[in-house]
Amino acid sequence: MLVIDSQEVLVIGGGPAGLAAAIESEKHGLATAIIDERENLGGQIFKRLGDGFEVLSDSTLGADYLRGTELISIVSKSEVEVFTGTQVLTIEDSMVYTSHPELGTRAFKFKTLIIAPGAYDRPVVFPGWTLPGVMTAGAVQTLVKTQQLSPGRKILFAGSGPLALAFSAQLIKLGAPIYKVLESSHAPKLSEIARLAAAVSGNWNLAADAVRYRSILLKKSIPFKYRRIVTKAEGQGRVESVTHSKVDDQWRPIPGTEVTENVDSLCVGYGFFPSHELFRLLQCTFTYDENQGGFKVQKDEWGQTSIPAVFAVGDGTGVTGSYAAVAQGTLAGLKAAQLAGKITENKLKTLARPHQKNLQDRNRFQRALNHMFEVMPGIYELADESSIVCRCESVTKSQISKVISSTNDISAVKAYSRAGMGLCQGRNCQRQIASMINQKYNIPFEKIAFATPRFPAKPVEIGLIADGSIQDEKYFINE
Amino acid sequence: MNREFLPGFLSHQENLSPLPQSTDVLIIGGGLLGTSLAYYLSKQKVELLLLERDEINREASGTNAGSFHFQIALHQLTANMTTKEKNRLSSEVQLQVEAAKLWDNLEKELNADLGVHFDGGFMVAENQDELKVLREKDEIENAAGLESFILTGQEMRNFAPFLAEDLAGIAFCPREGHANPLLVGPTYAFRAVENGAQIRTFCSVESIEVLGDGSKVNGGFRFKVKTSRGEVLCNRLVNAAGAWTMELARQVGLNLPMGLSGLHVNVTEPHEYFLKSMVQHIGRRLTLKQTHNNTFIIGGGWPAKSEIYPRRYSNLWSSTAGNLAVALRVLPMLKNVKLMRTWSGVWAFTRDFKPILGESKKVPGFHVAMVPTGFTLGPMVAQMLANYMTNESDDKLIPSEFSVDREIK
Repeated sequence: MLVIDSQEVLVIGGGPAGLAAAIESEKHGLATAIIDERENLGGQIFKRLGDGFEVLSDSTLGADYLRGTELISIVSKSEVEVFTGTQVLTIEDSMVYTSHPELGTRAFKFKTLIIAPGAYDRPVVFPGWTLPGVMTAGAVQTLVKTQQLSPGRKILFAGSGPLALAFSAQLIKLGAPIYKVLESSHAPKLSEIARLAAAVSGNWNLAADAVRYRSILLKKSIPFKYRRIVTKAEGQGRVESVTHSKVDDQWRPIPGTEVTENVDSLCVGYGFFPSHELFRLLQCTFTYDENQGGFKVQKDEWGQTSIPAVFAVGDGTGVTGSYAAVAQGTLAGLKAAQLAGKITENKLKTLARPHQKNLQDRNRFQRALNHMFEVMPGIYELADESSIVCRCESVTKSQISKVISSTNDISAVKAYSRAGMGLCQGRNCQRQIASMINQKYNIPFEKIAFATPRFPAKPVEIGLIADGSIQDEKYFINE
Repeated sequence: MNREFLPGFLSHQENLSPLPQSTDVLIIGGGLLGTSLAYYLSKQKVELLLLERDEINREASGTNAGSFHFQIALHQLTANMTTKEKNRLSSEVQLQVEAAKLWDNLEKELNADLGVHFDGGFMVAENQDELKVLREKDEIENAAGLESFILTGQEMRNFAPFLAEDLAGIAFCPREGHANPLLVGPTYAFRAVENGAQIRTFCSVESIEVLGDGSKVNGGFRFKVKTSRGEVLCNRLVNAAGAWTMELARQVGLNLPMGLSGLHVNVTEPHEYFLKSMVQHIGRRLTLKQTHNNTFIIGGGWPAKSEIYPRRYSNLWSSTAGNLAVALRVLPMLKNVKLMRTWSGVWAFTRDFKPILGESKKVPGFHVAMVPTGFTLGPMVAQMLANYMTNESDDKLIPSEFSVDREIK
């Protein structure tokens, strides 16, 4: 039988944005619950250590860990109800259906829903990208953060954007043997540095972080190369060598600049995609911004989406980093309180002001950074004809090309080729397929819709979702 | 990996090219009925144009679960097994046996892997009442020429050790099977174009004008069809619009009462292949099969929420939870297999559950091809209609009970 739990505010996602939203909404007297699919709150940025680890001193685990500890402890001391290990299956009307490995299905009825789903690594297809030993930055970060484990002894880091630097520096600090860092963008131009510097006011911590990250690399004499991209990973059964090339302004490899190096691991981090599955299931309105990960849910200054009861906060709504995420979460929590009549509109304005100011500063800095690390089309042209594009169903680029000669619709490509039908539910291949459609038909990305959204939001065991108390109508023909 | 893949692809560019000014036959609808009819007509060198407002095979034809319904299943039953009902079921089984013959030969005919498998089908009964229905069904089938047999107790457990041990009994029909619905329609379409048929996609019909005085005008055309991409003239028109058949028929003043229902389907992650035969339930809504991509497809007629076109019908949590509970009851090993995705499709049916097939006497030249058990029977009724259209509209070629002009309540 279905257990139904009622909440005034339900927050999905226990990362920086979700924690802040739950804290703020509960603070104003709203019955609030937070659910997260992982065993611990914190999300990716504030990720906790795995079971079996004992933390003797939080400070050894870095600034993000400390920020996470602070928010999580506020939540645990508050009236916020916490449901971890709880996977969202679908959302219908005012009900969120979830599944838990021991407890099975539980439904949450809500008045306001704040979704802070987070982001995942931008999948980049190149020959050899499915070889064991090729990992995304997020996966390596998870290994290192939760298990204190390095994936290899000699790791090449290839990526782009502020996080390429931050991630590699953090990984080095946590003891992962990064051998070299490749950044596909050019070295910052003076004009870009000036723009960034102009945005630094109010973002001193971010700027200081950047300097600190760079100095970590310098101190360890780890080479950091601009304008290079990984074009191939090779090896018997796992990565043994990686080839990279110099790129032009469009991130297209320049022939004759290839260098092959022997490494045992390749960490790939070309920025992030917002996890927008739930917003798509809800049929929220979307906008498009390539540098923030492509499709992102449309929202107002409070995070309110085209569905008034649904708010969207954090990196899952356009990647802007954990500081902005906390501000967004707080603002959504405040707005929920005002909508519920807990605070007046004037009070809302007063309370929101410092967070809005904070968010504006962050966004300005982020825009300057995005400008500097713009994602260029060459990144989607690295696959060769035999490269696997859909890794779940082993569908190659040449097979997909054939299908694309017949249709420009991703749903139809999926139906004809099986690309996107596997366990990752299309997260890894759809953007690559969109890019192939874009190249063949010259259709802008914002016009290439992903396949029809369907639940479950993530795969779930049949035993955890089946409900024997639900009866069918039996006969189809009623006389 | 042993993968079913289409033998070839239509050219998107050609699908979007301008419409011809006129054609002999105009088929409206690019589902299984429309594409298979295009194939059978094009084989006879009939000049034809098929119009589809989206991509080929994207509605019911591509969203059903791919089950053949050769043996009698729950969707054909009513609460009372009267003699009249038994006679109806008997005639339906005869039609289903004919359809099985077509499917038997279809991969050869189209020279393609369509994922057709005839590895038998189980029909399970959980209790004695259901077992009684199973026995009645078994009798009707064998009398109508479809082999099936019943097993209970230890015999049942030995024959199908993977099914729940405490079922009251099972029927097994060796002829039962399934195919891949994503491949059949597009393959028919591809072969039809090879034969000279023309197909245009993303072209929706806006209106149909009946020309002339109601009799076939020599030299002149019978219909003028206005589409989103211009006008086209034709002698004969076929309404193969699936769930939108009724809407389209109104354009020429015909009333074809139909019901629409959104159906829900589940698919799991791949699992080591072991379930050769399809599993259905005589008293609950369930179809369950393992595909040759190793996934389990679980359906059986649970509802999806209706939406206005082009929005797809929404899947309901209750349909998944209920459907999977029935599946788990019958096949307990599914417990730890992950549900990967759900989808929905729209199912169109007539109240008497019979096809609407043939030419209207009220509007000569206007043909309809619509069948409630569309995946199983679609290609066969399309072939019937193609025979009719290429044999001087001989009425004997289509059963009168399918008549377009019959009174359908």
